[in-house]
Amino acid sequence: MRIIPYILYLYLLAFHYTILSDLISIYGATVDLAALMITIIAMYKDELTAFWFAFAAGIVAGTFRLDLMPWEILFLTGFAVLINHISRRINISAITARMIILAGFLIVHETLTILLISSESFLYLMYRYVLPSTVYSLIPGWVFFLIKDERLTWNEIKAQF
Amino acid sequence: MAWIATMFYRNRRLISFILAFVLFWPIALSPGRIRPIVGEIIASALYFPFSELKDYIHELSKVTEENRYLRLQVVESSLQLSAQAEAIRENRRLREFLGFEPPENFRVVPVKIVSLLQNIYPVAAIINKGSNDSIAVDQPVINRFGLVGKVVEVMPEFANVALLTDPSNPVSGRVADSRQIGIVRFSPEKGLYFDNLPADALFKAGDLIITSGLGGVYPAGLSIAKIDSATAEKGDILKTIWLTPAVNFFEIDELYVLISEKK
Repeated sequence: MRIIPYILYLYLLAFHYTILSDLISIYGATVDLAALMITIIAMYKDELTAFWFAFAAGIVAGTFRLDLMPWEILFLTGFAVLINHISRRINISAITARMIILAGFLIVHETLTILLISSESFLYLMYRYVLPSTVYSLIPGWVFFLIKDERLTWNEIKAQF
Repeated sequence: MAWIATMFYRNRRLISFILAFVLFWPIALSPGRIRPIVGEIIASALYFPFSELKDYIHELSKVTEENRYLRLQVVESSLQLSAQAEAIRENRRLREFLGFEPPENFRVVPVKIVSLLQNIYPVAAIINKGSNDSIAVDQPVINRFGLVGKVVEVMPEFANVALLTDPSNPVSGRVADSRQIGIVRFSPEKGLYFDNLPADALFKAGDLIITSGLGGVYPAGLSIAKIDSATAEKGDILKTIWLTPAVNFFEIDELYVLISEKK
């Protein structure tokens, strides 16, 4: 396991939490980059890589709310291992399959996080934050899968214009 | 040693989970001690460069906004300064005019020029007072240097003034010292001149030409011009004197209408 790319991913995560998240947020909904990165790494890398990256990402994500740090570590590492196992056991060559796994993880992660933070009604939180953030996070995920499968290439983008 | 490496490799999953558990446990169970230390390390290693960058960008945007605000302030201040400078100039002119004594039986009404009609020279002006302020036709108009012209048309709020530079507006004048009487006229080619003087009239350059008071329009004694030079051909009966106007018609601003108080 080469460690440098993962350190850079953690820097990307820190950059997202510090600057990018505010810039790209739409009415409070923003991309859940930690969950997105962990899902992708868990799908394409081995279990231990996903596990340790999720552990480190949990610490990075929990730095903003120290009381949530253990929960973030638990959720992210747990889901990293789970997604890795699911990915190895089912056929995820179709983008739809990967999107369903991603959507499921995003919804569960967002829901658990928001329930820990907020005391407002569950349905309101789902409607106001969880679903918009999940949909918003699915878009870069979908684009990533398209590029990964070479369904979206630079030549194809150029051909559109 | 090889068996140890083999053992680690075979059990790497278990060892990883144990190691993660060992790391996780202090974080989970020591919120007051370990967690802040971990947070501090992560914040200074990962977040600090980006938070510095964010602060820098924020500072930069604040500076841009401040710069825009200050530019606006500079424009406003310079406008205020210009208005103040103009007010000072106006104040100086008005103070100078305070010493002016209007001719007997006349009172002074200050007016401002709304528009100036120019044809090489300014020839007519529209002033901001009219019949509502007792302005009437043929009233003399002066400024602090001397005679400017007379009112020729009156509207309720405005009036038209024919300046001395209007060729159709001659004035009866006299040389202040020698009391010789003549007509002050203006020609666009020659400028202001004093006409109809006898060839033997006595005068010298710099003598003041004032209104004669004849004709009933202008009161006697208002400054019109100073004598510049004279021409008289041998055998001529009359002499023409070139004048320098007392008023600079290109710089007229505040004017005063003399209103007769005679019933």
